Amino acid sequence: MAIPELERLRAALDLAVHGQDDAKLGLLLALLAREHAYLEGPPGCGKSALARALASASGARRAELAFHRDASAAELLGEVHLRRESRAPGERIAIELALGPSASAELLLLDDLSRAPGEALGSLLRVLAERRFAGRALPLETAIATAGPPDLESYADPLEPTQLDRFAIQLRMRGLVGARRFALARALLDRELEASPPPLDTEMRHSLQRRAAALPIEPAARAALLRAVERLAVAAGSETALLSDRAFARAAPAVLRAHALLRGGERVTPEDVRALRFMLARRVPEALEPEIPALLEDAIRADPEADRGAPGTRPAAAADRTGNAPGAGGGPPSATIPVESLEARNTSLASVPPVASARGDDDAAGVESLTRALAGRLERGAVERGDDAGGSPRSFRRMRRLDEILDADPVEALLLLEGRQPGGARVYRRERRNAGGAIALLRDVSASMEGRLARWAGQVVAGLVRVGARRRMRLGYIEFNHESERFASGGVFFHRRYRRVLALAQRRRAEGRTNYEAPLRTALGELRSTAGRERHIVLLSDGVPVLGDPTVRNERALARRLRVKVHTVFLGSGECPAVLDEISRETDGLRFEARPGPGGRVTLRERDERR
Amino acid sequence: MKHGLSRLRELLDRHVIGHDDAKQALLLALVCREHIYLEGPPGSAKTRMAEIAARGASLGFFFYQMHRDTRLSELVGDVVLERRPLADAAGERIHQAIEPGGILTADICVLDDISRAPGEALNVLLRVLNERKFGERPIPLLTAIATSNPLRDEYYNEPLDPANLDRFALQLRVSGLIQSGDRAQARELVDRFADGSVLEQPEPEPVLARAELDRLHAELARVEVPALEKDRLVEFLRRLVVDYDCNETNSLLTDRSFLVKAVKLLRGRALLAGRARVERGDLAVLSQMTTFRVPEEVQAKVPELIGEITA
Repeated sequence: MAIPELERLRAALDLAVHGQDDAKLGLLLALLAREHAYLEGPPGCGKSALARALASASGARRAELAFHRDASAAELLGEVHLRRESRAPGERIAIELALGPSASAELLLLDDLSRAPGEALGSLLRVLAERRFAGRALPLETAIATAGPPDLESYADPLEPTQLDRFAIQLRMRGLVGARRFALARALLDRELEASPPPLDTEMRHSLQRRAAALPIEPAARAALLRAVERLAVAAGSETALLSDRAFARAAPAVLRAHALLRGGERVTPEDVRALRFMLARRVPEALEPEIPALLEDAIRADPEADRGAPGTRPAAAADRTGNAPGAGGGPPSATIPVESLEARNTSLASVPPVASARGDDDAAGVESLTRALAGRLERGAVERGDDAGGSPRSFRRMRRLDEILDADPVEALLLLEGRQPGGARVYRRERRNAGGAIALLRDVSASMEGRLARWAGQVVAGLVRVGARRRMRLGYIEFNHESERFASGGVFFHRRYRRVLALAQRRRAEGRTNYEAPLRTALGELRSTAGRERHIVLLSDGVPVLGDPTVRNERALARRLRVKVHTVFLGSGECPAVLDEISRETDGLRFEARPGPGGRVTLRERDERR
Repeated sequence: MKHGLSRLRELLDRHVIGHDDAKQALLLALVCREHIYLEGPPGSAKTRMAEIAARGASLGFFFYQMHRDTRLSELVGDVVLERRPLADAAGERIHQAIEPGGILTADICVLDDISRAPGEALNVLLRVLNERKFGERPIPLLTAIATSNPLRDEYYNEPLDPANLDRFALQLRVSGLIQSGDRAQARELVDRFADGSVLEQPEPEPVLARAELDRLHAELARVEVPALEKDRLVEFLRRLVVDYDCNETNSLLTDRSFLVKAVKLLRGRALLAGRARVERGDLAVLSQMTTFRVPEEVQAKVPELIGEITA
């Protein structure tokens, strides 16, 4: 970084938070490229501290929005204005939404984004993306959102990837301790606090942004960008990746330019494609993350001759946006990648050889089909949303009690108090999902469940835990071989400590011989004392029971009587024991099998299909 | 121990028998201006201790009993609707605002049964606690003391979001004297109630002046933390992560808590003992930080681990 202003910014970030180099670089890229950034990470790793430090050091006018589950669109966007004009013989009343502090902010901090209810967030993110509100251009340069990692045990609606696409820069952060960077952690303890460097002023900041925007992008760099995007698409599988034109044709060039400026370059060269790694946190599956650096390096190097693209014309959208930048003269006309060429390349994705191994994903995808089917079956038990004072505001309903006025639409509440709203005001209908039954996971850990089988079983368990967590089901977990081991939480077998079970799912152990009777008996015993209609057992096994009653006659009868559905998943290449089919048929459960497929993959399908 | 603090400790001892750990942690929380979370079965003097510590420190006090329908406005003050004419006089502006009260104006607050509140209403509250500001306005709050019953799945409450629990630097499990089998102290407790003397106890009066608390807090920064103790702190964390498999899914070993707040608490321990230098014995406070941040089975071994590291 040769530019003194950039060094000052970087120094300010270094003072605020120790380590976290990637996050710092990502934020600087966002600021220079006038793009939005999203930081995801565990509590206490410095997300908000970094965002605030950047806001102070950059000298930008800032506003901060704190999100919570009750945040309503009006609260996030601003204030409700009621316009009343007398108009004989009556009065005209109009409601307007006026953008609040975010209207004048150049740098907007969105704290705990993941806690906002999806509905309220939508309109805010649209405003962020368009940088316009009510026909007026906003001075907004960069919005920085922070969020905790997606969490099974808390209630927030997961953020939709499409909403996140508005954040060009996306990063995952980890704590120093969590990431086992103990040397850095120790150094943090020795840190002396120094005075932060003086903040930039608006002119300095804008001049940096203009300099970045004016950097030309070499044709080779454009080709490398396209190669990188293609490789990402292939490696991730198009279903799970969110490689939008918006992000990679419109935002990526700006990010690449910022990257070139940060390293002190005069033009964007293929090596700047490395900056793409700051854009990928929620756009590609997490499992792909370790492979990204190699994949990008590959794209930077590969085949520069064949891919030399012609400089294209600047698309209208990008031109318009650059025009919004204060005083921006606009980059050279060849500076942006034409959208058309990206689309054309997409059609030939099939011909691009897959990179490195995405095999872990294939396994996961197989498990997905099972969990989907099971989810469907669980859904039949209908986990309804119920009214709940602590729930999310989902829609409006009429007011029932006077104390609900605190939760009422403010304008209607006022009119009601003035006696001009007969029938009461609208209040938020707060709902949350009711808890949805219980599911016992029975996992075979006998000696034959080794290696791949154990891994599959772990993945199936993890998938089921996620399905259960989404439905707020209580989970019980049993590992069995010749005997059954019951894992309770605080003495209670069915619980909602989902993360605990996920941790168990990762365990690999294979010993002893198979016995179905013991685990089924344990699970049914627990279910017997559990209320509710939705009660399920999922039995994962690879073989015939050699101990206990091999036909589990008593347990089948008990399951029928209790109306417990027993779903069975057979793993492995042998013959599925008939008893598994019988249990599931009798109890209206699902029957699945996981078999080794070509190329070391696992093929998961319903056993019904085959017969 | 400094004067006012020892009087506060005496006050706690006079009103509540046993619970040495919790009492010391309460004092530590006051001096370090950290929040503290006490979990224990009903009737184990959690609320009582919290209340006495709060009142004894002569601070603006706010007590709130959380319940399932707790709304944010009950904690932060009344919601008011403001109406102002718009500049062009063609209408009026209607604005929902909060008249600060509750935790926004208190120096110390006791939030009773915190796990009963709807999970997300809590989130706003705890953010306020953590940042010590509401909107852009700083609040005077020094310490929040939260209590909770152990979570049972049968009941309608949700586990505290781990990020929320992280706001409480100190976390303690409190158990009743009778349940924990401390017969001597249980006997003392029974005696006290049997004599009726406890009923004559006056309400706790302020024994620690605010100025003294401020002075102690200012002294914290001057307490020396030797490099050896810093090494031990990091070694403790390393052992938890590497040897005890604490990771991001099963634990909450955040940088904020264990690299920033832990140091402050170590200094606080030294200060409470009247020292200007952290000693290895102070590391014992770490076990009051890990309580609900590492798996139960690991927590059981934490005191032993601290013993090994400081040996």
